Amino acid sequence: MSPADFPRIQSAPLSLDALIADGRDDCGALTIFAGTVRNHHDQRPVEYLVYTAHAPLADKMIREIEREVAARHRATVCRVVHRIGRLGIGESAILAVVRAPHRAEAFAALRAVVDAVKHRVPIWKEEFYSDGSSAFVTGCCIAEADDAGAASAPRHAHEHDHDHDHDHAH
Amino acid sequence: MEIKVQCYGPTRRYTGAEFVTLTLHEPATVADALARLGERGDEFAQLLRQCAVAVGDELVRRTRPLQTGDELALLPPVAGG
Repeated sequence: MSPADFPRIQSAPLSLDALIADGRDDCGALTIFAGTVRNHHDQRPVEYLVYTAHAPLADKMIREIEREVAARHRATVCRVVHRIGRLGIGESAILAVVRAPHRAEAFAALRAVVDAVKHRVPIWKEEFYSDGSSAFVTGCCIAEADDAGAASAPRHAHEHDHDHDHDHAH
Repeated sequence: MEIKVQCYGPTRRYTGAEFVTLTLHEPATVADALARLGERGDEFAQLLRQCAVAVGDELVRRTRPLQTGDELALLPPVAGG
C-alpha cells in the first residue's frame, strides 16, 4: 500500500518508516513530528491513555486537512496518522510528516497540520491515573460556528497557530 | 419516529451506553433530538451544546430534519494528539 493510501486512524502501533517510504527527489526538507504519551498531566501520574475516534469522519477530515495545509504552505507531501485504543507511556499517538522543497515551508506546514488535527478531528483522549480513576481531556468544540444552539466559542480560539499548552499528550 | 444516537467520548458517561434510541414526534430536527437527550440532566445538556453531530461521515447542522432510521453521531469537544 502506498503511504498516501494508509488509513489515517489506526489501532496498531504507528510506523514512521511506512509513512516516509516513498522519497521525493524534488524535496530538500522532511519534517517529522511524533506526539508521545506523557506519564503525567496536571501533576497527576498517568498510567495509560485510551484514544477513541469517529473513524470514518476522522479519516476523511485528516485527509482534507492534509490537502488544505499542503496547499496553503506549498508543501509537496503532508501526512498524518493517529492511533486509537490503549496506549502506554512513550507510545506514539500521532505521527505527522511533511516534505517540501525547503525547510521553512516544511516546518510551517508540520506545525499547522498537527494543530489542525488536534483541534478539528473527532478523536477523544481518556487518561487513566494510578489511583484507578480516569478522565476525558477537555477539548475543542467542532460544531459549525453558526450552528444555532452550539457553543462554538472554544473553536474560534484555536483557529490560529499558537504555543499554549492545553492538555496535549506530549 | 425512532432514531438511533451513537455516543462518542465523554457523552457515553451520561447515557450509560454507546447507542441510545429516541422516539420523537414528527417533524423533528437534530435540535429536537439533542433537546430530548438534554432532559437527562443539566450537566449533559451543557455538554450537548458543545457537541457537533454527524450522520455517516458528514457533519450536520442542528436544523437538519430527521427521518425514521437516521443514525446520529454525538461528537463532544475533541482532543486528539
